[in-house]
Amino acid sequence: MNTSKFFLAGILCVNLLGVVALPQATGNQAALVKQSSIVFAGTVSQLGATSFAGVPKSAQTVVVRVDSVLKKPSAVSLKKGDNVTVELKDPSAFQQGTQATFYTEGWIFGSGVAVKELGHEFRCGTGEAAKPAGADEKAYQQAQERISDQELQDRLNAADFVVIGRVTDVHRWNAPKSAATRVSEHDPDWHEAVVEVQSVLKGGQVKGNKVVVRFPGRNDVAWVHSPKFEKNQQGIFCLNRDQATGVPTEKVAGRQVAVYTCLGHGDSLPMSDAPRVRALLKN
Amino acid sequence: MKALAAFWLRFLTLAAFVMTAGFVFVRGQSPGIKVVDLIPASLSGETNQDSEPFLAVQAVNPQIMVASAFTPNPFSASGNAPVYISEDGGNSWLLSAITPVQRMTCDITHAMPTGENHPRGDLHAGTLACAASITLDESESNDVSASAIMNVQSTRTNVDQPFVRALGISNSDHIYVGLNDFNQLNGHTATVDVSVDGGATYKSVPIEARKTAGQDGPSVRPAVAGDNTVYAAFFGWRKFNGTVATSDVVVVRDDAGAIGPLPFQALKDPSDKLPGRLVVKSVSIPWSNAPTLGQERIGSTLSIAVDPNNSSTVYVGWADHGSKGDIYTLHVRRSTDRGVTWSKSDLPHTTIRSATNIALAVANNGAVGLLYQQLSGGRWVTHVVQSRDAFATIQDVVLANVPANAPAEQFLPYLGDYDYLLAVGNEFRGVFCANNTPDLANFPQGVTYQRAANFSTKTLTDGSGNPVAISIDPFYFSVPVKP
Repeated sequence: MNTSKFFLAGILCVNLLGVVALPQATGNQAALVKQSSIVFAGTVSQLGATSFAGVPKSAQTVVVRVDSVLKKPSAVSLKKGDNVTVELKDPSAFQQGTQATFYTEGWIFGSGVAVKELGHEFRCGTGEAAKPAGADEKAYQQAQERISDQELQDRLNAADFVVIGRVTDVHRWNAPKSAATRVSEHDPDWHEAVVEVQSVLKGGQVKGNKVVVRFPGRNDVAWVHSPKFEKNQQGIFCLNRDQATGVPTEKVAGRQVAVYTCLGHGDSLPMSDAPRVRALLKN
Repeated sequence: MKALAAFWLRFLTLAAFVMTAGFVFVRGQSPGIKVVDLIPASLSGETNQDSEPFLAVQAVNPQIMVASAFTPNPFSASGNAPVYISEDGGNSWLLSAITPVQRMTCDITHAMPTGENHPRGDLHAGTLACAASITLDESESNDVSASAIMNVQSTRTNVDQPFVRALGISNSDHIYVGLNDFNQLNGHTATVDVSVDGGATYKSVPIEARKTAGQDGPSVRPAVAGDNTVYAAFFGWRKFNGTVATSDVVVVRDDAGAIGPLPFQALKDPSDKLPGRLVVKSVSIPWSNAPTLGQERIGSTLSIAVDPNNSSTVYVGWADHGSKGDIYTLHVRRSTDRGVTWSKSDLPHTTIRSATNIALAVANNGAVGLLYQQLSGGRWVTHVVQSRDAFATIQDVVLANVPANAPAEQFLPYLGDYDYLLAVGNEFRGVFCANNTPDLANFPQGVTYQRAANFSTKTLTDGSGNPVAISIDPFYFSVPVKP
């Protein structure tokens, strides 16, 4: 590279850094990483183009050569050297050769990967030593850890009750005759778990220290991600008042009590998550 | 010298790529027969149980197809459930998250009529979303390649197994969605949602006229002929004891697109003069929502197909308890007088034991196609059979013959509560699901993988050379119609 090109590249890099709002704060970066399913550093190779057939080409689409992959789902094949189609929010900020870290969500998967930009950070690849990939990956791993907490926080916020407890009994729930019964391959086959509450992390006191939790016993596609309870299982359970079975109360020890459900993936957590849950509930 | 070195570098790179990736390479494909694993190369690391496939073909431009399966959104738990799209007649497929359902559907079927003249669209889908309640969305896309989320036109809860068929008419597609609607009165749950305005409005038409065991069976299957004749088949459940349904196989018909005041009442059974011809009465159908036939559940497999050029000829197929100890046996019957009378017994070669996922289609020349999956010798064998003489003589093609004990079931259905077959010009096209081990011996007609696979070592890889566990994949196929 001759001196003039080096100088021009430096000016370009400085200008780009100046005009684009960078997600410099750690919180902003964490938020972007949280939103993003695929994060990678790359170099724009074509403007107004796509990297494989079947992706709608527009002025907003560019082809980016991947320099390093920082975050992706395990199912997705993406590696250094691959060409990715990125639909940009504002293509005017990009030129051929622009280097950036792209925060994206998946879009179309074919012979290649196409993504939609959620945000970006320009990288100075010319006239400046590239940041070691390992350093990037460590930073993003830390960010992703924080995001797991954020997602857990969301689940805790949505729960009516969060308890630490032990499952003392599991049995099939026979709906009363008054309840509508339907035969379907998606029949949840409701079961009940009696949970002996050891401590309440969120929600009011539990009379008698036991709650009834309904959960689908069926391994149908509709319920495959719902927790399944086993006797003597101990853990942290995010519970919501039963709005699924049509019979939201049950008589326990002679009194009518509310029944709960635990349906979402991740609503049943191992005891090892207790410190995190306690800490998040304090926030 | 440099040029020579560069040549060898490129050659060796290509050779290594071919040996390790193996994708988009046709493997021993039989002439005229195409079998393609739908999983795209960029999702080579996936290990989902992508079961219960379905297929829609754009009639005006059959290069455009949409397929579906229980494939989750590959990048987000809160993103939309995807479909597979091909724009080159099934040679290549991509995955695009355009359904209105979050993450993964728990039922999806679709059709692509062409009346509204959208060159890459008029995809009409019926989807179930799985959450605390199960919600039906009836939705439309005018351009499946645009990657926009489908427009929901109608939604309601408390229904099961939507099954979409459609007919393109002028600028307003006619759409027929068979479903089991628990909102209907008196247990008359077999229902067809009818739209004659491209899905803008739907009318729910109960098609059961007889007393039921509180409900009908889950499968309600419409079939539409080009002359506006619409048939629908369903299981009229008369008794149900939790493990066995005593059922009639019922066929209804409408001669004018089901737009009149009393739709689906053209066929009456001579035994009780009620609408709905009883093709067979009181068959015993096992209901097992657990692994029963291999790792698959059983209980409701049904198909109906009408000759597109002669709506008097209609075929119906179903599975029941069978005889001689078999738990699930397929049957096919035929009517040549618009469903008034039916063959008294199964057509030749169509009493098939230990089998499920029956799908029928009739080609333009009258050839009938039959797709099914049979558990045989510890393997799932996928057949497509066709005949020009009502199965008196047949051509039986095995598309896949894979181990039934692997991979382990992730959920039910293992392969699907249905698969699908269509007739398109001089081809039968369809989809089925199977163990995805890249072993040419498992695919007697050959196979094409888009995902990274090594047929020499019979292993899948993630595109970077790391091994990937086998799983259930959806496969597209095309077989020439018997002349």
